[in-house]
Amino acid sequence: MTGEEIVEQVKVGLPDFILDTALPQGDAVLFVAPDCLQKVATFLKDDPSLKFDYLSDVSGVDYLIEEREPRFEAVYFLYSIDHQHSIRIRVGIEEENPSVPTVSRLWKGALYPEQELFDMFGINIEGHPRMERLIMPKEWVGHPLRKDYPLTTEPVTFSYNRGYKSELVKSKPSTR
Amino acid sequence: MSITDQGLLEREKDTMTLNMGPQHPSTHGVFRVILEMDGEVVRTAEPEIGYLHTGIEKTSENKRYVHVIPMTDRLDYLNPPGNNLAFCLATEKLLSVEIPERAQTLRVIMCELARIASHLVWLGTHALDIGAMTVFLYCWREREMVLDLNEEISGVRMMTSYIRIGGVAKDATRPWLDGIQNFIDYFPAKVDEYEKLLTNNPIWIDRTQGVGEMSREDAINWSMSGPALRASGVKWDIRKSQPYSGYEKYNFDIPTRTNGDIYDRYRVRIEEMRQSREIVKQAIEKLPTGDFKAPDNKVSLPPRDTLHTSMEALIHHFKLVSEGISVPKGETYVPIEGPRGEVGFYIVSDGSNVPYRVKLRAPSFLAIPGMCQMMSGCYIADVVGIIGSIDIVMGEVDR
Repeated sequence: MTGEEIVEQVKVGLPDFILDTALPQGDAVLFVAPDCLQKVATFLKDDPSLKFDYLSDVSGVDYLIEEREPRFEAVYFLYSIDHQHSIRIRVGIEEENPSVPTVSRLWKGALYPEQELFDMFGINIEGHPRMERLIMPKEWVGHPLRKDYPLTTEPVTFSYNRGYKSELVKSKPSTR
Repeated sequence: MSITDQGLLEREKDTMTLNMGPQHPSTHGVFRVILEMDGEVVRTAEPEIGYLHTGIEKTSENKRYVHVIPMTDRLDYLNPPGNNLAFCLATEKLLSVEIPERAQTLRVIMCELARIASHLVWLGTHALDIGAMTVFLYCWREREMVLDLNEEISGVRMMTSYIRIGGVAKDATRPWLDGIQNFIDYFPAKVDEYEKLLTNNPIWIDRTQGVGEMSREDAINWSMSGPALRASGVKWDIRKSQPYSGYEKYNFDIPTRTNGDIYDRYRVRIEEMRQSREIVKQAIEKLPTGDFKAPDNKVSLPPRDTLHTSMEALIHHFKLVSEGISVPKGETYVPIEGPRGEVGFYIVSDGSNVPYRVKLRAPSFLAIPGMCQMMSGCYIADVVGIIGSIDIVMGEVDR
């Protein structure tokens, strides 16, 4: 199916659980709230004409500098091996106590990337069996891929970035 | 262990915890796995990663698009052209640039040569892990030829950075094309030679057949990709299902097997080397003439000789070098088929010359939990075989 057909099919099947849809460069993209994620994911996996049985990856984005609400986003990349089509689910996550339900009950492959999402962005994964750091050392402080996490650990950079939200734009590296 | 009243040692549990790695020679880098052993049999295997974490994703958010390309080489260091290509395709998708036919063909040649070289490293080290020393030396001999070809075209043996946004770094030269022709004429006999050493070798079969099995359903559910998935009977290759860089124009097969054990993964990769050679052969035969990079001055540098005669070219050159490429606002994901499976880049752009977020979909990273699943219930001697058969590269696991 093409991106448009997938988006149509999802809109018909789950009208109340989708916030929005988009088709950037023809890719199907769904915008979903965190509490609807499991419902949408189950539908996408079980519907015979969609059948997204393969989870490619889970990624996170921190939209701090863009000043977008909500601040975080988890992105799920799904693929259907039988129908050879793909979809992205973008889940906006609030800055206060960021958390999102796990999809690892549907796709076991999600266990590792979800754990990485916690490690790198500090987004709590509800129902994940191992909510601990994956790549960074166990005693590490902070979540490296957040935009307010400084690129270096030099003391000067650290204190300068402390009041991040307004200061951060100014402190962007010189390569810009 | 605790000491009893009689002063004897008493075991608290029946299993023994055994640490393997991160400096173990057959964990292919710095992979560490903690094995819970019951005698010779592995009960559970707990992976530990992060020893090679270099923060490439974070660094990419602070570098211009062109500067990210050399870093992608270091992710999966056995497949630099594949990583370059995935990153460039994602950026080009945001930029909506048309890539000339000749550049696309040169990209395909580089990627397929890298696939052959990567599979040769895999075959050599995997056979060495299981105990076949000779194969290692033979594979290194042929890999050396591919590295020489890399050096001829890009000046570097491994980290080529040859594929750039908008095309490739440099046009193909006659000696390089002749070198490839020599290699593809010479190579098939060598693959037969490896097969003669291993495919019907009773020791190899004993060590590999029925070991580390994974069913079709499990392989899909655990997000395995590439040869590991195809050995379990899933006929899925991104070069066929979502063709990029003109792969739809080449005639090649997707080898699949059904048992999903170490032996089948070996057979699939051996056949893939033959198919890659087939693709390179076709690409050399129909290498079109034309530009080797997009003639769009906003994306690729103008030809060097025009700088002395054209003011416009000079300005474009200056702007591209000093400021870089500005990519329109948006987000995109492009997957390609690497030697280890689906390599993909998810790029979020805020409209500036620096990517807002770069995320690599690394096939080895996603394969590790599934790989450790295979280990439970097998003998400790087979653990190295299983790690070797998945062909993990720690550079892309830890990023």
